[in-house]
Amino acid sequence: MEVYEHSTRFAGYRVVEWRPGHPLAQAETTAYRIGQAWDEKHALPWPAKLDAFLADPASRQVPALVVGPWWDLDEGTAGTVELVVSALVAAQARLPSLTALFLGDVVSEENEISWIEQGDLSPLLTAYPQLKQLCVRGGNGLHFGPVQHAQLTTLIVQAGGLSPEVVQDVVGADLPALEHLELWLGTPDYGGDATVADLQPLLAGSRFPRLRYLGLRDSEIADEIATALAGAPILERLQVLDLSLGTLGDLGAEALLASPAIRRLTRLDLHHHYCSEAMMARLQALPIAVDTSDRQAVEDGDDESARFVAVGE
Amino acid sequence: MQWLVIGGPETRRVALFQAALARQGQPPAHVVAYPDLIAGRVDLRTLVHPGTVVRIESPDRDFPTEQAILVAGAACADPEGDYARLSGPAAAALLCDKGAIRYPRQWYLGYCAVLRQIQDQLAAAPPHRLMSPPAGIALMFDKRHCQAILAAAGVPVPASLGPVASYADLRARMTATGQPRVFVKLAHGSSASGVVAYQVAGGRHQATTTVEMVPRAGGVALYNSRRIRVYRDPREIAVLIDALCRHRVQVEQWVPKAGLGARTCDLRVLVIAGQVQHVVVRLSRSPLTNLHLANERAGLAAILPRLGAAGWAAAAATCTQVMHQFPASLYAGIDLLITADYQSHVVGEVNAFGDLLYDTLHAGRDPYEAEIVALTAQARAAA
Repeated sequence: MEVYEHSTRFAGYRVVEWRPGHPLAQAETTAYRIGQAWDEKHALPWPAKLDAFLADPASRQVPALVVGPWWDLDEGTAGTVELVVSALVAAQARLPSLTALFLGDVVSEENEISWIEQGDLSPLLTAYPQLKQLCVRGGNGLHFGPVQHAQLTTLIVQAGGLSPEVVQDVVGADLPALEHLELWLGTPDYGGDATVADLQPLLAGSRFPRLRYLGLRDSEIADEIATALAGAPILERLQVLDLSLGTLGDLGAEALLASPAIRRLTRLDLHHHYCSEAMMARLQALPIAVDTSDRQAVEDGDDESARFVAVGE
Repeated sequence: MQWLVIGGPETRRVALFQAALARQGQPPAHVVAYPDLIAGRVDLRTLVHPGTVVRIESPDRDFPTEQAILVAGAACADPEGDYARLSGPAAAALLCDKGAIRYPRQWYLGYCAVLRQIQDQLAAAPPHRLMSPPAGIALMFDKRHCQAILAAAGVPVPASLGPVASYADLRARMTATGQPRVFVKLAHGSSASGVVAYQVAGGRHQATTTVEMVPRAGGVALYNSRRIRVYRDPREIAVLIDALCRHRVQVEQWVPKAGLGARTCDLRVLVIAGQVQHVVVRLSRSPLTNLHLANERAGLAAILPRLGAAGWAAAAATCTQVMHQFPASLYAGIDLLITADYQSHVVGEVNAFGDLLYDTLHAGRDPYEAEIVALTAQARAAA
């Protein structure tokens, strides 16, 4: 799964772990990671750490920030994401080059993805009109509200479950520049209750005119999503369709194969799936790149409910 | 040179050691089986000759050995407290029950008695060399004591939550120390036996473990399993922790481990004669990285780009520092945890018999051959 290792690259930049006192080098091409570490006794609260970071004038050139754990890993004291959001909003004038933000580079060894407490991120999008890439990990408490942003090209939300409200806010957003949209829908066990109906504004193709990459990943309703996508107008403008990490089986794959638009993609990513070997062979025969790796075996006697998404903790 | 191994004659460990002796042009070792030693059917005083090298091997998971050690443990008073015990006759009547976790505290007391027996017999034997002395092995087999000694010596280890006696006690200590994520380990377990990674947040509980609970009259029986289980019901977790606490546990903070690609990892570092030698990167999809759980592994080269030369040098220095606490031990296998941010490391465990690393060479030698080479060099230097 994608959530074992701290990110090493983000938005095309090398990620460097930053600690108070570290001078910034090559700031204009580095994504600094600011987070709480397990061995920091009496660590500065996250907002104070950001202040210390901003004290270095080179921080004005930083194009990307990666936010690690904002709570104290060692002594368990709380730090809410609201404090991070308000600190970043307050720092807006001091981060004029910031175009990429990853909020929640947290691995399961630090906190399970479905346990990360997110919050209302709408102030960030308002405060940073120049933002091009936003990646969020964690679905609990996540809220966007009505989104309008002229520059955002990439939006990634990784979660163990995304609520219908979050999905509706995203697919209903006004993001004219959006090229890459990735939603980890997750399971109802972790609040992932969104249905195909919630995705309808996206599928209808009336939004996101520049969309080239669509990831509806880690979904427990991958077959239904594939079926709905097969005849959906949005498919016509995609180069990459990513239904990986979910529970896709022959039913959904059959629907995809029946869609002429699938053959016009450049890549179809289905890794971590429940398709049969025969279906995998048919998928591989498509005239495009198809990733059918990491097939999940269903044990004899198990029914459909024995299918699990890749990131479900 | 003459060689004598106390261990399991039919085990992989002994076979690999004999093969390594042969590669080094040494004669095969005489092998003493634990049950024979414990029953007094053999005596080291007559088997050890001047200059013999004595190697104490793992008792492994051999049922007659386990039973003989449990019987020996029945006669040992527990200096510390009131843990689960079994009478000598009851231990003698046990039947083999694969994977069962049975009286590990008594097993440890019994094994210490066997190690003392070895020590006493060797004290009366002709001058000889010991690869690892009984006292060091006994200390490494007490995770609670061993980690405390390392902490006192300034070796970075996960913070201990102290002597936890029950689930209620554990919860209280987690709250008092602000540690919502902990590892609970049997103080005298090996191979991920009785290990639980437990986390609590916002009313949610999750215990990831190798332990399977099987209901029995009057409670639960515990089994080691290769399948990772996740318990989420705090009542079930309480039963599990209470059952483990009856056998004495080490509880420490869960230090977030480094990730490597789509896996969590840690390092097994074999230190021989003060030198870091064989290194295995253990990869896992769960928080439990033990090799016996069919996890994957890689060589040091896989992690060096992330760790950096300075990070590895510091980690290696820590491993040699660990061995300063065991000056008479030729070797030990150290579980080294690199933190998620790759900025620091801690020692998770020290394993007296942590040198069984399949298909792992250092300077062209497997761990056993490297140990033989180190020992013969020491012997030459002393001569």
